[in-house]
Amino acid sequence: MWSVKNKMSEKLESSVEEQFRQQTGQRTEEELFSLAGASAEEQERTGYSNYSYWRSTLQAFGKNRVAVFLVFVIVGILLFTFIQPLLPGQHDPNMVNNDSSGMQYRNVPPGSQFWFGTNSIGQDLWARIWAGTRNSLFIGFAVAGIEAFIGIVAGVLWGYVRKLDALFTEIYNVLDNIPQTIVLILISYILKPGVKTLIFAMCLTGWIQMARFIRNQVLMLRDREYNLASRCVGTPTGKVVLRNLLPYLVSVIMLRMALSIPGAIGSEVFVTYIGLGLPLSIPSLGNLINEGRALMMSESLRYQLLFPTLIVSVVTISFYIIGNAFSDAADPKNHV
Amino acid sequence: MKRRVLSLMLSVVMMASVLAGCGSDDGTGSSTPAGGTQTESQGGEDQKEGQAAGGELNLLYSSEVSTLNYLKTSSISEMGIPANTIDTLVETDNKGNLVPALATEWSQDGLVWTFKLREGVKWVDHTGAEVAEVTAQDFVDAMKYQLTPEYEAANVRNFFGVIANAEAYYMGQIGTDEDGNTYDPIDFSEVGVKALDSYTLEYTLAGEVPYFLSSLVYVTYMPAYGPLLEEKGASFATAADSMYYCGAYYLSVYEPQVRQVLTRNPLYWDAEHVYITSINSVYNAEKATLAPEMVKRGEIDEASIGADILDDWLAGEQTRELVSKERPSTDVSYFYCFNFNPTFGEEYEPENWKKAVNNENFRQAVMAAMNRRNPMAINEPNTPEQYIQNTITPATFTMNASGVDYVELETFQEIVGKDSFDETAAVSYRDAAKTELEAEEVTFPVKMLVKYNPGVSNWDKECAVLEQQIEGVLGSDFIDIIVEAGPSESFLTVRREGNYAFMKCNWGADYADPETWTDPFYQAEGSDGYKYAFLRTAISENTAAADTVQEYFGLVESAKAITADAQKDERYDAFARAEAYLIDHALVIPYGISVSDYIATKLNVFEGQYASCGTVPNLRYKGHHLMDHFVSLEEYNKNLENE
Amino acid sequence: MLKYLTKRILRSFLTLAIIITIVFVLMRQMPIEGYFDNFDKLTEEQIQVGLKGMGLLDPMPIQVADFFRQLLQGDLGLSRRYRANVPVAEILSTKIPVSVKLGCLSILVSLVVGLPMGTFMARYKGKWFDRLGTLFIVFIQAVPAAVYFLFIQLYGSVWLKVPLLFDPSKPACWILPVFSMSLGNIAYYGMWLRRYMVDESTKDYVKLATAKGLSQNKIMVRHIFRNAFVPMIQYLPTSFLNTVIGSIYIESLYSIPGMGGLLVDVIKKHDNNMVQAIVLLYATVGVIGLLLGDILMTIIDPRISLGGKGGGR
Repeated sequence: MWSVKNKMSEKLESSVEEQFRQQTGQRTEEELFSLAGASAEEQERTGYSNYSYWRSTLQAFGKNRVAVFLVFVIVGILLFTFIQPLLPGQHDPNMVNNDSSGMQYRNVPPGSQFWFGTNSIGQDLWARIWAGTRNSLFIGFAVAGIEAFIGIVAGVLWGYVRKLDALFTEIYNVLDNIPQTIVLILISYILKPGVKTLIFAMCLTGWIQMARFIRNQVLMLRDREYNLASRCVGTPTGKVVLRNLLPYLVSVIMLRMALSIPGAIGSEVFVTYIGLGLPLSIPSLGNLINEGRALMMSESLRYQLLFPTLIVSVVTISFYIIGNAFSDAADPKNHV
Repeated sequence: MKRRVLSLMLSVVMMASVLAGCGSDDGTGSSTPAGGTQTESQGGEDQKEGQAAGGELNLLYSSEVSTLNYLKTSSISEMGIPANTIDTLVETDNKGNLVPALATEWSQDGLVWTFKLREGVKWVDHTGAEVAEVTAQDFVDAMKYQLTPEYEAANVRNFFGVIANAEAYYMGQIGTDEDGNTYDPIDFSEVGVKALDSYTLEYTLAGEVPYFLSSLVYVTYMPAYGPLLEEKGASFATAADSMYYCGAYYLSVYEPQVRQVLTRNPLYWDAEHVYITSINSVYNAEKATLAPEMVKRGEIDEASIGADILDDWLAGEQTRELVSKERPSTDVSYFYCFNFNPTFGEEYEPENWKKAVNNENFRQAVMAAMNRRNPMAINEPNTPEQYIQNTITPATFTMNASGVDYVELETFQEIVGKDSFDETAAVSYRDAAKTELEAEEVTFPVKMLVKYNPGVSNWDKECAVLEQQIEGVLGSDFIDIIVEAGPSESFLTVRREGNYAFMKCNWGADYADPETWTDPFYQAEGSDGYKYAFLRTAISENTAAADTVQEYFGLVESAKAITADAQKDERYDAFARAEAYLIDHALVIPYGISVSDYIATKLNVFEGQYASCGTVPNLRYKGHHLMDHFVSLEEYNKNLENE
Repeated sequence: MLKYLTKRILRSFLTLAIIITIVFVLMRQMPIEGYFDNFDKLTEEQIQVGLKGMGLLDPMPIQVADFFRQLLQGDLGLSRRYRANVPVAEILSTKIPVSVKLGCLSILVSLVVGLPMGTFMARYKGKWFDRLGTLFIVFIQAVPAAVYFLFIQLYGSVWLKVPLLFDPSKPACWILPVFSMSLGNIAYYGMWLRRYMVDESTKDYVKLATAKGLSQNKIMVRHIFRNAFVPMIQYLPTSFLNTVIGSIYIESLYSIPGMGGLLVDVIKKHDNNMVQAIVLLYATVGVIGLLLGDILMTIIDPRISLGGKGGGR
């Protein structure tokens, strides 16, 4: 807000100047020294700017063609994961396809019957990849959303309220150092393996990272002069946080969130790698990649790794670029 | 290969979970290509074409042993080193016959067995230097060590009821058992093992043990140098230099999670039959992925070729010739258990399941509807039939006194002769079950919870295939198969707690007698036994299957009562009747034996020692030649025929 | 400041105690069968003897107290299932140096490559170097590490003519693992440094400096870099220490006998003493990392204060 105000006052100054120049253009002395007069309308106009933070942000973002295109890509992928099962001639992702002799179609390379081929028990990879993308994106959005919400609230409190600093630092140290593997293994005894369990397990310890990130940002800004000034004039803490701090942080938070979606997908890949991932009946990019990885040494089977990796890459790249573009756009200094 | 260590590995004991490691562990090694180097030629005379004298075998292994202490471990993966570095009283030849090893001759007099030890056998240390001579006292000390509770010997129960007073001595040190019975300490001299002199060892048994001699190949009867046990106590065999060796090899390098090197023992009594000069194993956690590639590059001499890449290897110009298989093994049997004492959550309707499972027509319907070829084909795409078993006891496991294979006995004729998969029969069983169960107010579809261990490769896929296949035959309005992953760690809890309805389980033979295959199912009154299918629950709750189970237990008990050596045939017949009854009434569905993995190897897998149970001989490299090429399937089949 | 530090260090010990106690208790919630190799065939008595031997039958508070008493004497206990009856300290002491060596090398490479990369990308924002760098960052971020590590190993070993597995005696064998391990950090440093520098470069003091006629390079290095480095510096110690802790993927693929994956391994094996020792180690490292990060931040940017002074709320 500080910088926004700054800009507005710049505009104010420039319009005064302009008026002055216009006026000086008129040569007659009378006119030169005549009273400018005070029109209420004029005052209104000069004090008013049609600047809107979010509109400007969107405008700035819209200028980045690549980012806009990628937004469509992500939305397209997301929509397609829902549309795909409704298309004609689709296989069920968990259906084992048998040939006429009753045996499975094993490792059929991509072709007209199975567009992306089949895996080692004859499940259609095309269907599995889209179902997997749907599940993984859901996990990604859910984890990013939950973590961001808890993380921002906790992070601001942590960074801004000094009394809570010790407490949160303690919580952070504890949570950050309890190995996720122990948590995952214990959860796997208590809860059924599934998407919800995985989201729960990932958020259980993950939010603290977001909180720490926010806390560090807040710490850097907390005692800047404009905040001191705000405090001096008695602005309530809540208002300082909402009006002074958070807007300043929107750009980094957005970038962080955009990255945490592919991050969640990545950690799902890791969790699957150590054997605690989703079961076969719930396809996800994590278990598809891990299955494909085992086959990587055989060139003719690499298609099983290629497609899921491709999707993960596209999703990650998209979020990365969108996040960066948005973060640039969200920085008020880039609004003209 | 013996070194199928792996696959075999754990299996012996437990559920398939253990097996998981399949494929995942053999070793590999550094970079010198081993084939063909004529290093030393001690065994030169036996050389055949394509075999190199000596040579180093380079392997990769992915599961590190947690101990070298063979007196403590019961996991097959940890027996590879002891099998090659410690000799046993008797060993097997490559057909499975027992032959003299550390004992040159033996005699039996009632319950007393006397062994004459080979003279001049040496203990060596990890540098190969001589330490002492192997004497009868070393066997006595090893047993005493295992019977000491604080050393936590996992196999100690193998002595109970076998060696006189072993249990009494062991329990005497503990004092009281679970049920509060107290035991008085007794002196070790009362235990049935004695060194009469340096070369004469005597075991006194607790009762008739028909399989005693064959059990001597197991780690429990290995010797250990007494003074060293005394000195090291619990830290015996925690490193290469805290144990001594008397086998074909000694462990010259042991860097955990780095490498292990077995070096040929020049002082070995039978050194002329040890051909490979050293076995270099390098640790790699990603073995399953990397080993096949390293074989292609010639960096290692053995790798398992998983079913998923098999087609590719068999199709490849250069790789086709590299693939062969493991020696078929018959020491582990897989079967599907119905759980008679379900403890799973209400959402899966345990009461409903209980009624269904106690109905014989329901069980028969599932058995007849299940096409075992489909799940089996996941691990063995080409010849799944070869590994399907219609009995719990694997074929060629043991023979009766007249030389008839146990599963070929009259009693089994009908069972062995036909495939239990029969869609027409399944449908009529289903209809019968439906009528009967509706009368009992069972709701349809019956929910059948199937669990698998996500840590075992391909088990999830087997379940997926099975679900679709059975539901396809019986209709999803009759049965709803719910496949769920169990915890990948401590998966055994699922079976032991009865947290499933229907599940693939396995059992490994402990000794060469059909009784071993009744152990998982038989539950003595008041005991849970090994907690497999909880058959006794049917009796204690007097459900519809109570009579059937009672009859089966009765058959087992009467078979167990026949112990005299002369009545071996009667004993086998009685066990066969019990097993046939179990299968006829679909209390358990037989599935198959472990699939022999496809592997690339430079060894002829039929050349080494072989045993249908006991595992140790199967792990030995003694007698193996290292070839200068990888064995092809064609060559493998030729070797198989020659067996 | 000094007072603050003393207090904080003292509190760190408390934190460590809490962490280790929680982990201690959590590990004991796992099914007991995990403690035995061959649970199925053991007798009840053997299980009881085994559990007693591990002290698992005592009430939890006594177990915790025993553990801390041992710990204070510097005894981490014996491993149980990872390497039976071998002291935990002995196992760790062979593994830590390997990971530390590898980690240091890779951090060095990442800093040497990553920081200049980020700076140049910010300096020439929108130009070809920035685009190239972005492409690289995007690629590393996008492709799962589990996949590209494998490709690097597979083709890198052919290209460099080295064996697939790591052999410490051959210097060439270090290249692939160190390189693979650095990639992620290079991208990470590059990305965030660029981001922060771009953010900084629109600030007024930069305009002022430009107006004063300072050269772009000077502004970049003396002003922007220094300010942009503040938020980065906070993560440096932690990221350094984390790298040192080892990489499960890299060490698994190349057979490097370090710490990577060790924790997962021992948790799965229910080797309580090992788990506790490693968690303690990691936690210490983590706590120190956080502290160092905070200290570094105050040193580089005097406006930031950690102590009690300043407008407390």
